[in-house]
Amino acid sequence: MIAIEGLTKRYRARTVLDGVTLDVPAGSICGLLGRNGAGKTTTFRCALRLARPDAGEVRFGGEPLRTATFERLGYVPDRPSLYAWLTVQQHLHLAARAYRTYDAARARELLATFRLDPAAQARALSRGQETALSLVLAFAIRPSLLLLDEPTGGLDPLLQRATLELIIDAASGGASVLFSSHAIGQLERAADRVAVLRDGRIVLSGDIEALRASEKIVEATFDDGAFRSDTPALAGVRRWEHAGAALRAYTERDPDAVAAELARAGARSVRVLDRNLEDLFMDAIADETAR
Amino acid sequence: MPVLFAIDPRSGVPIYLQLTDQLKRAVAVGALAPGERLPTVKALAMQLTLNPNTIAKVYRDLEREGVIETAPGRGSFVTGNGTVDKARVVASEVAQRAVREAVREARALGVPRDELRKLVETEIARWFPEDDT
Repeated sequence: MIAIEGLTKRYRARTVLDGVTLDVPAGSICGLLGRNGAGKTTTFRCALRLARPDAGEVRFGGEPLRTATFERLGYVPDRPSLYAWLTVQQHLHLAARAYRTYDAARARELLATFRLDPAAQARALSRGQETALSLVLAFAIRPSLLLLDEPTGGLDPLLQRATLELIIDAASGGASVLFSSHAIGQLERAADRVAVLRDGRIVLSGDIEALRASEKIVEATFDDGAFRSDTPALAGVRRWEHAGAALRAYTERDPDAVAAELARAGARSVRVLDRNLEDLFMDAIADETAR
Repeated sequence: MPVLFAIDPRSGVPIYLQLTDQLKRAVAVGALAPGERLPTVKALAMQLTLNPNTIAKVYRDLEREGVIETAPGRGSFVTGNGTVDKARVVASEVAQRAVREAVREARALGVPRDELRKLVETEIARWFPEDDT
């Protein structure tokens, strides 16, 4: 279990994290979404005390971060931190000495999965291979806590898939996974929870299915002049947009009931639209003033 | 498992419903035979790169509906007893959902009731020509 509460970070006058709170239960995969600069990497860094937060608390399996936590914590940073002059194999040796939980057989498997040459020097690795080596190091200790900052960056589609399989395998075994990505479609498949950051604040979080189910769009088309903004269907509708002949109502009520009311109010056609994660994300990060 | 599933996360239909329907369909058409063992939650999650909790939910729902049964320690299987009847029920459920969607869409497009009825009759005549007298 990863529990982040009220994490706050300021750089001089600028607040880059503002009370970030999120939970990742055991066996759960939580996707961390947000535009570039929204605070995803800072969240990881503050959670791991690589940057000092100004406020907030982070607990791993119910305990604050301790040296021992790293025995079961896998971290893939957004920029791989490798030693340029060491080989892939030397990186594994370092990990073997640093972690009692290091599993050499598992590491060999992972090297083969990611097609890494043990003799290659880190400075000769491509961007994707650097990510791959970071993943090998993170998963070689069979971690129960995973913090993955864009773990598929630079990877080809097959290795992206291999990475998702590793994440799913770990979660099936009870690991808590927090992973940031811009690949919303991938995340929607693999994650069961999501947290969306905007300007350092969590603007949407929770169970993905529940979020998708909580709000629907009812789209209705009216003949010219037939639409009346006092139609009872719009009571209890969070917001609605009216573009030309089309009306789009965002509602948490039973969408079929709203649709039926709009049909009675004279709509020529009505349909209920389900929302996917990308819709929810776009809505959550939309600038308030632009609405 | 030889059955192929096509999950589209961008479709508005929740992923667990897509998978539930496709598993039911596989049982209804016999692609998953009575007594056949299903993959473990973890294996299917990895194969489809879907969240394991989603797969577990699908299995729980199918179990509650009697489509599959789980023997502790042995895995999940397509229900053996009375599966022919079960498959028919499941087939009719899956078909009903498809018809409901089609009717809803026709209504959204403003197709009048009588015209829709004619469209349905035409399609039935097309696919069940042997019943024409």
